[in-house]
Amino acid sequence: MTQKADILLVDDDPAENLILRGLIKKVSNIEIELHYCQTIESALEFLRSGKPVSMVLMDNRLQPQRDFRETVPALRHQGFIGPIGVISGSLADPYFQNLEEYGADFRIDKSEIDPTAIEFILREYLAPS
Amino acid sequence: MARLLENHRRYDLRDDLEKALNRVDFFRIFHTMALRFGFNHFGILQLGNENDACMLSTRLVLHDLPSGLAEEYDKRHRFGDSLFYKTLHTSIISSVWRSDDPGCANGQNLLVQLGFELLLSVPVHAAATGARYAVLFLGDGNDIARSEHFELSYDAVCAFDYFYRIALSNKAGMGLTPRETEILKWISHGKTASEIALIVSVSEHTVNSHTATILKKLDVVNRTQMVAKAIREQIIQ
Repeated sequence: MTQKADILLVDDDPAENLILRGLIKKVSNIEIELHYCQTIESALEFLRSGKPVSMVLMDNRLQPQRDFRETVPALRHQGFIGPIGVISGSLADPYFQNLEEYGADFRIDKSEIDPTAIEFILREYLAPS
Repeated sequence: MARLLENHRRYDLRDDLEKALNRVDFFRIFHTMALRFGFNHFGILQLGNENDACMLSTRLVLHDLPSGLAEEYDKRHRFGDSLFYKTLHTSIISSVWRSDDPGCANGQNLLVQLGFELLLSVPVHAAATGARYAVLFLGDGNDIARSEHFELSYDAVCAFDYFYRIALSNKAGMGLTPRETEILKWISHGKTASEIALIVSVSEHTVNSHTATILKKLDVVNRTQMVAKAIREQIIQ
């Protein structure tokens, strides 16, 4: 049976939504529905609506918030206990070493996101434990 | 985790390896490594006793192969019969395999069975226990040149060393981190993983992963024994 996953992408650049949508089409064996929110407020609203979200992919820097250290806790305070991945153009900043303290699960560089990486992450986090 | 000395030369990989925290980070490192050297996929294989029944899917501890490929392989073939598997128990020299290698009888050619052209295997082991593994790179190239072969083999050894110590090693006897102690306290209060995730503001996956680490560190097999031992050892009241 094909696995299903609802991914919520939060990114202030709509182009990233188009890029990820294109990559997701190439993922086989997992039926992925991609939802997109441009701001953290709309993402919180989406979570409140009760629509299914298996995983959140969050752009590290969302204006006007500083970075994931502010946005990920906001999602957690909303009661979301699924996996949250932080997407960044560079993982060099030292605060990425403490991502778990802020409630995030993993980090990935924008340039590293390809269908294989998406499939791996979904297998890793959505497989029945 | 004990830091390595600068004597352990890790070259360009040093920063990435020092920052790696979890399996996704090691996936990123090995996946990028495979692509950089012209391969499409990687797999880390745990080796056991040569004569044990052995399935490819259960021996792969981390890989980026297409979903279901290893399981499909296991339905049709016996990994233990492949010439490749047998040679892993003959020598620790890195090996390169091509789908048209001569000398492979029917049912022995792993590459043909998996549908790839080229396989590079780097045997590795855990420094603490000697447990044996092999890092595999799979692709459709014709061959790999000597200098690239050396470099990739060296990088694979470095990356596996970190992967083992951070993700695979049995951490029995090691101290609990503050976060692990906090989760242990909530488990002792009878909270479920999802409840703890809400309380601590992390994902349920993170709670389960901490719980698995606590089980290893306390050398116990379930949550009941975990709490009993933690009280006995005065980790929690």
